[in-house]
This record gives sequence, C-alpha cells and structure tokens, in this order.
Amino acid sequence: MSQPIITVENFVKKYGGFTAVNNINFEVDEGHIFAFLGPNGAGKSTTISTLCTIFEKTEGRLTIDGKDVTTQKNDVRAAIGVVFQDSTLDKKMTVEENLKMHCVFYKVPKREVDERIQFVLKLVDLLEWRKKSVSSLSGGMKRRVEIARGLMHYPKVLFLDEPTTGLDPQTRAHVWEYVHKLQKEKNITIFLTTHYMDEAEICDKVAIIDHGKIIAHDTPFELKKQYTKDRAYITTLNPPALESLLNERGIRFIAKEKYHRIDVEDTAELLDVLAMCKEDIGDIEIRKGTLNDVFLELTGREIRETGEGA
Amino acid sequence: MSVVMALWFRNLKLFVRNRAALVFNLIFPFFFLFVFGKIFQNDFIENPATYMLAGIIISTVFDSSLRMASSTIDDITSGFMKEVIVSPVSRLTIATGQFFAAATVSAIQGVIIFVAGFFIGLKITTPLTIIYAILLMVFVGLIFAGFGLFIATVSKNIQTFQAVSLAITMPMTFMSGAYIPISMLPDVLKWVAYFNPMTYAVSLFRTVTLEKTSLSTEQLVLEELAVKVGSFTVTPMMAFAILAAFGLVFLVLSTRAFVKIDFSRMNRNKEDSLTEEI
Repeated sequence: MSQPIITVENFVKKYGGFTAVNNINFEVDEGHIFAFLGPNGAGKSTTISTLCTIFEKTEGRLTIDGKDVTTQKNDVRAAIGVVFQDSTLDKKMTVEENLKMHCVFYKVPKREVDERIQFVLKLVDLLEWRKKSVSSLSGGMKRRVEIARGLMHYPKVLFLDEPTTGLDPQTRAHVWEYVHKLQKEKNITIFLTTHYMDEAEICDKVAIIDHGKIIAHDTPFELKKQYTKDRAYITTLNPPALESLLNERGIRFIAKEKYHRIDVEDTAELLDVLAMCKEDIGDIEIRKGTLNDVFLELTGREIRETGEGA
Repeated sequence: MSVVMALWFRNLKLFVRNRAALVFNLIFPFFFLFVFGKIFQNDFIENPATYMLAGIIISTVFDSSLRMASSTIDDITSGFMKEVIVSPVSRLTIATGQFFAAATVSAIQGVIIFVAGFFIGLKITTPLTIIYAILLMVFVGLIFAGFGLFIATVSKNIQTFQAVSLAITMPMTFMSGAYIPISMLPDVLKWVAYFNPMTYAVSLFRTVTLEKTSLSTEQLVLEELAVKVGSFTVTPMMAFAILAAFGLVFLVLSTRAFVKIDFSRMNRNKEDSLTEEI
C-alpha cells in the first residue's frame, strides 16, 4: 500500500463572510493520478491554489510530501510542479530559455540542465522546437511546453489545472499519453482538475467537491458502482411477453417504441428473464454508468453545464 | 543571487530584442538636444551644448528606468509572474532582479547618448569621469526603478501606469533644470524644482560629467550646477544624500508593495472586468 503524499485535514477557507471550502478531508497516494472534480465555484480552485501555496488557508492542515503548505512554503514549492489553466510561459523567450529559467528558479544543478531539457522535450515531442520562440508555437504546443517545464525539477507532485481545456481531441490524447508515461516512468503523483469525464475515468481516484464540501471520493469504479446503475436496452419481437415477465418479478422498466429500458438492480434476475424469452430478443445492449452519471446524481447537474474553462 | 542574475539577464535580452523601442527611446533625447541646445548660454557657461547633453542623459536614464516598471506589469498580466510565485524564489529576489535590470537598461541608453556627446564637443580629461558617470547613471536608474515599481503597484494595470507615469515624468523632467535652467523658472515652479529629486540628480550628474567637482560652491551656483534655496546652497554631496534617501524610501516601499500584491487582481486592461460582465 502506497503512502499518502498529499494530506488535507479539516481544511477551511473563508473570504470575508463567505465560506469557499468548508472543512474538507482527503488524501492522495503517492504515484496515483488523482482527479478533482466540481462545478465552478465549488472550491476546486481555492483548494488547488492553497495546496500550491498561492492562497493562505483559514483553518486546517495541508501537507505535501510531509511538508506543511503554510509553514514550509519553499519546501512545498520545491516539491511540486504546477501547470495552470492560463499560460504562464515567458512568451518573448525561446522554449529553451523558458526551461533554463525554470532550472534557475528551482536550483537544478547546472551540469544536469541540458540533459533534463533533452529529456522533457523528448517526452512531449518538442525537441526540434527547442530554439524557437514560444510565441511561434500553437496552443497545444504551448501547453506541452508548460507540462515539460513543470517537470524540469523532477517534482514529486504535478498539479494540472484543466490541462486539456481548449485542445483538439488529438492533442488531448497526446497530453494524456505524456501524463501516463510520466506516472509510470517517474512515479510522479498527478493531481488534476478536468471537466472531461472520460479523462477522469482513467484516474486512480476521483474526488467530487460541491458547495465547499467533498461529496464523494473513491476510485471511478467504486463511484460508478455506488451511484449509478447499469442500464439494459432490450429490443424484443414480443413486447407483451417481456413486460409480463418483468412485472411478475417486479422489475421496473420504461417501454419505448423500439426498446425497453431497464435499470439493472440484480443482474442474475435479469438474465433469468432473458433466458425465458430468448427466442423473442432481437437486440440487447448493456450500458455501464459513467462518471458523468455519478456527477449528475450527486450534484444534480452536468459538469459541462457549468461553463467551466471556456 | 543566481536568480537575480538570471532575471537581470532576461530583461536585458528583452531590451535588446526590442530594437524598435530602443530607437524611439533615443529619438527624443536628440530632438531635445537640437531644440534646447543653446538655452544654457550665460556669461559663466562656455559650452552650453554639453550642459544640455548632461541634462538629457540623466533625464533619459530617469525616464527609462521609471518606465521599466511597465515590463514588470507585463510579466504579471502575461501570467509569467505566476510561474515565478509558485517557485521557491522569494519576491524580494524578483524585485531586486527587476531593479537591477531597469538600472542597467537605462544606463545603457544613457551611455549611448554620452558617446554621441563626444561628437558635439563633450570633452573629458580623465577616464575616471566615464566611470563616475556610469556609476551615477546606474545609481539614478536604480532609484527611479524603485519609484516606477511603486507607481506600478499602485496603478495595477498598464494603461493607468502609462498615464500616471507620463503625468509624473513630464513635470519632473522640465522642473529639474535638465532642459530649462532653474534660474529661468518662475518663482512658484522654482519651489517645485527644489522639492524635485530629479533636480539634484541633474546638478550632480552635470557637475561630474563636466568635471566641475573642484569648483567652489559659489562658482557651482553661478554655472547652474548647484541649487541655491534662499541663502542655502545644496552641495553635490548633499544632492547625493538627498537622492540616496529618496531612492531608499521608494525601493523599500515598492518592494513591500510588490511582496504583498495579489497578482491575480492585476489586469492587462482596465476594462477587462467590465467586459466580462457584459
């Protein structure tokens, strides 16, 4: 069992009379990819900014790699890499100059700088852009430079705030490829926010925050198991027969023109029913619950409706 | 220390890469030299053009060091400063790097005009004068870089900063004796000049570059090289002390403001917040 590298205990953040984060607790295990989800204004950014030492907490204890984010700011800063949603690159400088400057800030030993630049640029496929000015790069490339830069000092935890927002699907897929490569090769813990639910699916753990409270925190699998039901879509040649079989067992269903929709509570029972009328079955499709369903179930809204990122 | 050096070097690179701005920064001084060239003519002054030149050099240093704070605002609004504040680098270090870069960049501009000065009759008898002149330019650059950053932290966006800095640099330049001798100013404006730190920067720099440091106090006043307030004469040493005190106050004030400022509240445009609501 891996050790928690991020711990958040009884964290409260107030702005004047408004409580943005209301007593939350969670841990992130080392080497995990952790997704932090929530609608706009739920306290997501506040929590990340406090972990990254930009904001001061009101109450509680937050640590990264055993260091307190309030009292050991510089140790925490040295241990983390941050990729913000908005670009923080030095646009008038070249890719290489950006990376070198980062090395100075984080006191990377001089003789290692070249090797590391080589390593991170190779990781994000930008080796041939090394001497180019950042302003000449496309949006996706800039994002990749930011990720590369965030890795230059070999952080223990990499924070990615909406790393794929505004990127085309192909670049999104690439960014994820890099993230996975990283996690595997360097055992870096990745703490990210996203509003693409399919991205959250492939994380090790997911926490959902709403109105300043964590309302769910588990693996995507467990969350789906707990908060969603599988749905069966059955097309039958003999609807009355199917319906009577379902009614007999008290299985609720919704009859549509072309199919019957059933929320599956007990798989074995449904299989029994299907076995009894298998000659009539034209088509069957089982849809697993998605994290989007979890989110909808827990917050009463879809994550995309919140107009985040944009 | 290496961080200060790196930030200093970065800003120098930015300055060198922005050649168009450099050219424009240098057009005005030469324009002034041409227009006001003969204004310092009096019985005691033999070469008025060099008087003018010394005033122009130090005004250029003053103006460009103060305006360098706009590059700091740029770094904040472009997001680059965010990268810096999540790194283990202290804000004091960042401010120091910005100050030294501003001082260097403005001194370089001063040196360019200084070199041009040799073609219009500026004469020096010892290379020490060049060294003193450069040191003074860096000194003045550093002081007004602090003043500039202070204005920047108060202005919070680039438009306000530009407006405010223009409103401050114009009177400070024209009521300092750089272009117009203080003795020619109306009485009210004379008093403004006495409270203007630039007045002392100009008289000190002129005394040094024209190699008049050995003159008596009375002679300095006659040659418009020292300010006489009533019966009290401000000697070059006192001028230096006044500048140092002014610089220290604003370096401390601006650094303190810079350490505390919430970068997320600084916008590129004053209208940014308005347009979002519409």
